[in-house]
Amino acid sequence: MTNIIRCVLLWLAVGSVTWATGAKGIRVVSQTVGTDEMLLALAEPEQIAALSQIADDEAFSAVATQAKAYPKLSIHGDAESILKYQPTLVLFADYSRSELVAQVKRSGVAVLVFDRYKSLEDSYDNLRRLAKAIGAETKAERVIADCEARVKNLREKLKGVRRIRVIAPSTYGAIPGSDTTFQDLCDYAGAENLAATIGKLVGHTEPPGEKMLTWPIEKVVIAGATAESALKPYEKLPPYQFMPAVKQRRVALLKPYQLSCVSHYRIDGYEQLARELHPDVFK
Amino acid sequence: MVASPTSLNALELQRVSVAQRLRDVSLNLSHGCLAGLIGPNGSGKSTLLQAAAGLLPAEGEVRWAGRPMLKIPVMERGRMATWVPQEARFEFGFSVRSVVAQGRFAHGDDERGVDAALERFDLAGLAQRPVNQLSGGERHRVLLARAVATEAPLQLWDEPLAQLDPRHALDVVALGRELASSGKTVLLSLHDLRVAHGLDFVVVLAGGQLRAAGKPIDVLTPSLLRDVFGVQLRTGPGMILELP
Amino acid sequence: MSTTRASPWILPLACALLAGLVVASIAIGDFPLSPARLWAGLTNEDALAATVIYQIRLPRVIVAVLVGAALSGGGLVMQAYFRNGLASPGLLGVSSGGSAGAVIAIAAGWATASLSVLPIAAVIGALLATGAVLVLARHGASTERLLLAGVALNALLGAVTSYVLSSYTLSYERNAQILFWLLGGLEDRTWEHVFMALPIVSAAALLWPLGRRMDLLSLGADEAQSLGVDVRRLRGWMLALTTVLTALATAVAGTVGFVGLIVPHVFRLLAGPEHRRLVPLCLVGGAAFVLACDLLARSVGGVRLGVITSLIGGPFFLWLLRRRA
Repeated sequence: MTNIIRCVLLWLAVGSVTWATGAKGIRVVSQTVGTDEMLLALAEPEQIAALSQIADDEAFSAVATQAKAYPKLSIHGDAESILKYQPTLVLFADYSRSELVAQVKRSGVAVLVFDRYKSLEDSYDNLRRLAKAIGAETKAERVIADCEARVKNLREKLKGVRRIRVIAPSTYGAIPGSDTTFQDLCDYAGAENLAATIGKLVGHTEPPGEKMLTWPIEKVVIAGATAESALKPYEKLPPYQFMPAVKQRRVALLKPYQLSCVSHYRIDGYEQLARELHPDVFK
Repeated sequence: MVASPTSLNALELQRVSVAQRLRDVSLNLSHGCLAGLIGPNGSGKSTLLQAAAGLLPAEGEVRWAGRPMLKIPVMERGRMATWVPQEARFEFGFSVRSVVAQGRFAHGDDERGVDAALERFDLAGLAQRPVNQLSGGERHRVLLARAVATEAPLQLWDEPLAQLDPRHALDVVALGRELASSGKTVLLSLHDLRVAHGLDFVVVLAGGQLRAAGKPIDVLTPSLLRDVFGVQLRTGPGMILELP
Repeated sequence: MSTTRASPWILPLACALLAGLVVASIAIGDFPLSPARLWAGLTNEDALAATVIYQIRLPRVIVAVLVGAALSGGGLVMQAYFRNGLASPGLLGVSSGGSAGAVIAIAAGWATASLSVLPIAAVIGALLATGAVLVLARHGASTERLLLAGVALNALLGAVTSYVLSSYTLSYERNAQILFWLLGGLEDRTWEHVFMALPIVSAAALLWPLGRRMDLLSLGADEAQSLGVDVRRLRGWMLALTTVLTALATAVAGTVGFVGLIVPHVFRLLAGPEHRRLVPLCLVGGAAFVLACDLLARSVGGVRLGVITSLIGGPFFLWLLRRRA
């Protein structure tokens, strides 16, 4: 008899715990913009406790408009500024300060640290990892399938097109070569990154300034609202100011976030760049 | 050349050399001797005083009462010999009294004789003033008062008169005389040959070498003065300052 | 002078101020805690509040206190050593050595491996820098040579830091971490940091007995020697202690400027130059100053501790200087 009561009590206890920590009890705080983008794609609104401080900044975020509805973490906030949202899960990247990650972990909150985000496959893996943690596996597969469809569609459109030769100039003295998100962007958008093929640059590196003038650059890939405003900084910046592509305003224009995106939203960038480089196939 | 005044040797310098600045200086001073150290600028007076105080690495040997100066433990040396620098620079605003009281450091900071030393140098009224707000002469008197407060039997003063007004300068000489008569050995460098003339003993340096040492009347001859300083000594009616 | 009359009250006042700041720093934070919940946290009845208090706020407060005491104590010693009120604890390259070590550890990606990597790298950098200065100046040589060796080494290590910083401009995240560290901060200090900084306590305790000798030294090395101070030995101790103090402070809080320069100055103006009085005052006062600045940095949000110490300390010091003039 007592055993039966015990079993019932145990069942009640386990049941209530499962109920409390079930889908409805999840509260997630995201500390980086890449995880913000994933979280908004997978989580129910009530599961999102707070997003990173740049989640609503259009210069960095693919989800700026959506993010406006949620609280944002403070800049340089400490563990308390995260814990005050009473999260059950906190999302970090490998570049989050290790002290911050450790403090949050020690408070007993579950933590996910994402450390691979170079390729589209990495983005899918990350989506699946997050989905598993918040019980949104089916939604994740739906998002990924949708992504795959867009990529497939893009690949078919670009079949047989000549790769357009580009570079991504920068005002701070280094440009992206191979093994960068820009390379990934070029691979999907029918572009040849001259910094990688002629320049043999790996990662973000200082380009050979004068030699770069001999590269057959067809278009420069830059981010901004309009070609005019985006080109402005390069009009008086050697060696870029002497490049025919800059002088003749041959520009492929992306939205600012598309150059730096590490989540699955990078597909926006693929499509946008493809449209800018190969307008004929998109007619 | 060994020059000795009289009686028992207190300070002995044997063939003391300091790179480029002092060569082979040997010198003996007795207890109770008030000695002057003269010589042109750059002749090595300050170096000699620092070497005698054991503050410089020197060749040869400096002895105090028969003991090698550098072998005496630092704290004990602090009670035996004291040295007053030529320039009194103070970065921090210690009170006059606390600086004079530093003279008792080697005595376990017992403060004995501090007030008397302040009194002796007309500093009682300035006792609480920060030293870095004093005039050059006042600062020098603070340093001398600190030296006196140590009650060290060997007093080495580097140009103590240079910045003082006539009254305080005479006072310092009178104090040196007092200390000497109580058995201490006082060696001070100076440029005033008339004051030097009144001391027990004079040491003349030139170019880092000892030129002469002995009673002033024997040493300060017209030929030596011409030789060392390039000045002509003329005796006759002059002005003499004395303490009232 | 008024300083001597006012001074008996300064130490108790500074201690009271420090105690008040400690209480405030534990009570106030991003995580809102009502007095009732604060009490529940303190007594371990509320687990989350207890975590916030004992795992987040308390270590941060202790590290702030240790860092403040270490930097101002280190500054005081350096000022006595060089007989110059403008000397700072970083003069001989200790903190730039620490910075270079830490920045290299961040850039190389080692810092993510464990919490202790960064502080250990900083301590190694700081000790190497001090060793290099001593070798360059040949131990026991004149303060002038030591100072010049320090200036040269500071420039060299600054260049190393800038080089690392500039070669990682594109790795935005690491760069942000480096800058975060270079500007100093006490965010998310853990008990590991507290333990690493604990030797500060013993180094600080060793300062007080040196106080009287530092008085004499600060008025001239030869004079001090002739008055019975073993200057060589004293200087050895002073260098060793500032190195420990500054290296550990840099290791657990990054580069926090101004504290070591200004706090000793302020108390010298208020209480006079005697080190036996200044040592405890600077330790307590430095701790209170850093704690207050950190409290402010927390409530303003997003402003680095190193920036606040200078922004607050500078004008305050100028005001004090004018009032005293």
